[in-house]
Amino acid sequence: MNQLQFQLRGATIQAVLLVIVCIVLMFVDQRFNHLEVVRSNISLVLSPLRYLVSLPAQTGNWVGEWFSSYHDLLSENKGLKADSRIINARLQKMQVLQAENTRLRNLLGSAARVADEVIVAELLSVDQNPYRQLIEINKGSLDGVETGQAVIDAYGIMGQAIHVNQNTATIILISDPEHAIPVQFIRNGTRSIAFGNGSTDQLELRYLPATADIKVGDELVTSGLGGRFPADYPVATVISITEDLVNGFVSVLVEPQARLDSSREVLVIKPRYSTLPR
Amino acid sequence: MLKLRYWVIYLSLVVGIILMILPLPEWVHIYRPHWVALVLIYWSMAMPNRVGLWTAFFAGILVDVSQGTLFGQHAMGLVIVVFINQNFYQRIRVLSLVQQALYVFLLLLINQVITVWIEGYLGRPTPFGAFLGAPAIGMLIWPWVFITLRDIRRKAHLN
Repeated sequence: MNQLQFQLRGATIQAVLLVIVCIVLMFVDQRFNHLEVVRSNISLVLSPLRYLVSLPAQTGNWVGEWFSSYHDLLSENKGLKADSRIINARLQKMQVLQAENTRLRNLLGSAARVADEVIVAELLSVDQNPYRQLIEINKGSLDGVETGQAVIDAYGIMGQAIHVNQNTATIILISDPEHAIPVQFIRNGTRSIAFGNGSTDQLELRYLPATADIKVGDELVTSGLGGRFPADYPVATVISITEDLVNGFVSVLVEPQARLDSSREVLVIKPRYSTLPR
Repeated sequence: MLKLRYWVIYLSLVVGIILMILPLPEWVHIYRPHWVALVLIYWSMAMPNRVGLWTAFFAGILVDVSQGTLFGQHAMGLVIVVFINQNFYQRIRVLSLVQQALYVFLLLLINQVITVWIEGYLGRPTPFGAFLGAPAIGMLIWPWVFITLRDIRRKAHLN
């Protein structure tokens, strides 16, 4: 009996110590970056599991492609050719405009803005924590991804890299409750900040004055302020405006342009110039 | 050769981690039970000399990395759950599966309270349905976890 009690007491001391270790770890992890290396190493060890988990979905896609009929492929091909013709036509115009833009900028004496370099990546997994909006992509530091780089899909800004491992990177989506992105209205240049609120189909603009000139359908682009996101990428469209008459603010809900919950191919933007505002 | 058999334990923990990162639709995954906690509760009950606080701690760290939570967040809950279990397992082992399931619900709830508390501290509120739902699903699943792992344990001749 004495021995049992002794064992139990030993276990209690161990348990208390481990809990204290956990609390210290949490504190250090939240406040400092020292544990990033440990996390990325363990993450590397766990990466086979992630591949394993994403296997069923990938196999599904592959089988779907395999069995899609000749006819479907033909019509898809036709559609894509038509698209590419239209895009090419627009691109020609674009080149002219770009040249003109550079010339005008030279006239104005401001730095010319170059096109950004991108890294093409694929979605590996979606983080399962229901309180966060994180995704994992299959490119990491070996491919040139760095913490803080912006991630877009074909439609708009998706988020930014927060943890970078050797072969994978974790992306925080703009809809994460802890994320905020500086934006600007295309129509009138009003600046604001779009906060994530945890659902993938809306962001919030808080504390806009009730007199602000905002309409449903207004489009928002990144303002480039804050130095994180490159300027002028599409972010969201206004879907609803609620007036808070008591405080004199309006709260505006906007819908992200990027398909946060369905895009599988993403682009990581490597800024080539200093991201300071124009 | 003898050592080899213990890999079954670690393999089951890895399977638990896989089940926890398996992609599910949004409305289901709020109610996802804590598989690693279930597996740990079983092994610390069946083989208290082999699976203890340290196993819980390291399993928790792996869960933290795979889930992108703070280091030690899941580890703390799991250590506490296994510690409680170490003090009661002799009484619980002899109970029926249904009674065990209630006990498991309590343990999962304690684990959930710790996680939710930390999440709340970080400013991420948890919906109430998810707070009670996940442990409840864990309780319903417990008999199957128990029977499966018991059969595996017997196949591997672990006592």
